[in-house]
Amino acid sequence: MKPLPRVAGGAALCAAMCAAMCAPALSAQEIVLPRKDGSVRFLVMGDDGTGDREQYEVANQMVRFASRFPFPFAIMLGDNIYGSERPQDYDKKFLRPYKALLDAGVEFNAALGNHDDPNQRYFKPFNLGGNRYRTFKKGNVRFFVIDSNYLDPEQVKWLEKELSASGSDWKIAYFHHPLYTTARRGPEVELRAVLEPLFVKHGVDVVFTGHEHIYERMNPQKGIYYFTVGGAAKLRKGDTRPGALIAARYDRDRSFLIAEIAGDSLYFQAVSRKGAVVDKGVIARREAR
Amino acid sequence: MLPSLNFRRVVLVGVAGVAMGAGLGCKAEEKRAVDPTTAAFEEFAKLVDGYIKLRKPLVDSVGQLDPTKSQPEIAARSTALANAIIAARSQAKPGDIFTPEVATILATLIKEEYRRRSESVQETREDQQDELPDFVPRVNQVYPPTYPLATFPPTLLPLLPALPDALEYRLVQHYLVLRDVEANVIIDVMPNALPT
Repeated sequence: MKPLPRVAGGAALCAAMCAAMCAPALSAQEIVLPRKDGSVRFLVMGDDGTGDREQYEVANQMVRFASRFPFPFAIMLGDNIYGSERPQDYDKKFLRPYKALLDAGVEFNAALGNHDDPNQRYFKPFNLGGNRYRTFKKGNVRFFVIDSNYLDPEQVKWLEKELSASGSDWKIAYFHHPLYTTARRGPEVELRAVLEPLFVKHGVDVVFTGHEHIYERMNPQKGIYYFTVGGAAKLRKGDTRPGALIAARYDRDRSFLIAEIAGDSLYFQAVSRKGAVVDKGVIARREAR
Repeated sequence: MLPSLNFRRVVLVGVAGVAMGAGLGCKAEEKRAVDPTTAAFEEFAKLVDGYIKLRKPLVDSVGQLDPTKSQPEIAARSTALANAIIAARSQAKPGDIFTPEVATILATLIKEEYRRRSESVQETREDQQDELPDFVPRVNQVYPPTYPLATFPPTLLPLLPALPDALEYRLVQHYLVLRDVEANVIIDVMPNALPT
């Protein structure tokens, strides 16, 4: 695959990605996002660190989409490195599959999953800065990265403080374990009991989680949109269930999601390993509904 | 504040009450009834503090971690710290930190908390364990790096004595495990912590 040019953000990023758009052999499906100037664009991926062929194929599809939809950063929903975590595993399960994106300057922002050694917080490319949980801002969006493996009282206190101090237009939380899912292992009801009241109280708009190796979008729960995007390498085929809870689901192949926030609207597309758009839509910011 | 904190107080008093035995006068009993738990947890805090003191020069010897380090450096440092801790605690045995007094109180606390939880919560907790292979945790064992770390029930954590950042609780099968986070070493184990 032809490497993407390195991007620096803003106009430079657009120029670099425009150049990549002209590259041959790009076969991603048509993208109909608004692609507005100044919007916040990112990629969402979960449960990706297997080092298997499927991870590389999904990663290649991400690169194809990046050439048409330049995104300066990605969020990782945990299980970033499965199995052993030797230096060569970081190569095989992260640095090599995402080399084109890393070389293009895409910033990866990881959350920790139950398969992740907490020492991953010191791995610079994951941008955890030595912390198990953190918050960061991109444009008019505040992201809250939560460690759902070990939600101790100290972290809950931190989250409440950061949520209440956030004056951002958009609030997006992401972590590993889903609070709502129809997949076999079911939702993390204890986590929900602790986190959901905070999300509702402080106006969180969207929650992204992984853990279940499928794609799901829930109907809004207490005003919050929940996505499970846990199929960037592993797959539990046929693991979702239809029902009143669910707005869209995809469990036939691996998947990831691209998102763009422009003003009060969040545009999203879920994409399969083969490049098919398997779900898409627009979400209005909570305060604008 | 989390409702479970209130629950902790209730359970602690209840546990201590059981430990003290029944049939004592009300006011005197209240004062004395809290003491065994408090004393046990104070002793636990001292033992944890002792571990942190033992650990500090070992950490100094292998260097601090920060996000500027490469992955080989992170891995090498974790291994070196683990080896140093295991060597420094070669005589360590189960119950050194989870003393019998602490273990009795914690086991009661945990079992009471489990009993109080709904069936769906119980199922979730069982599911959290189902990815764990059948390994028996041992003191001074490096937590097998190919095994996932079972998610710790977030409503149970506030009931347990707080730990410094270097340590965390984990559940493995029916064991409560005390784990050094950066070294990935099991520091103590407490069997039969969970209801069967």
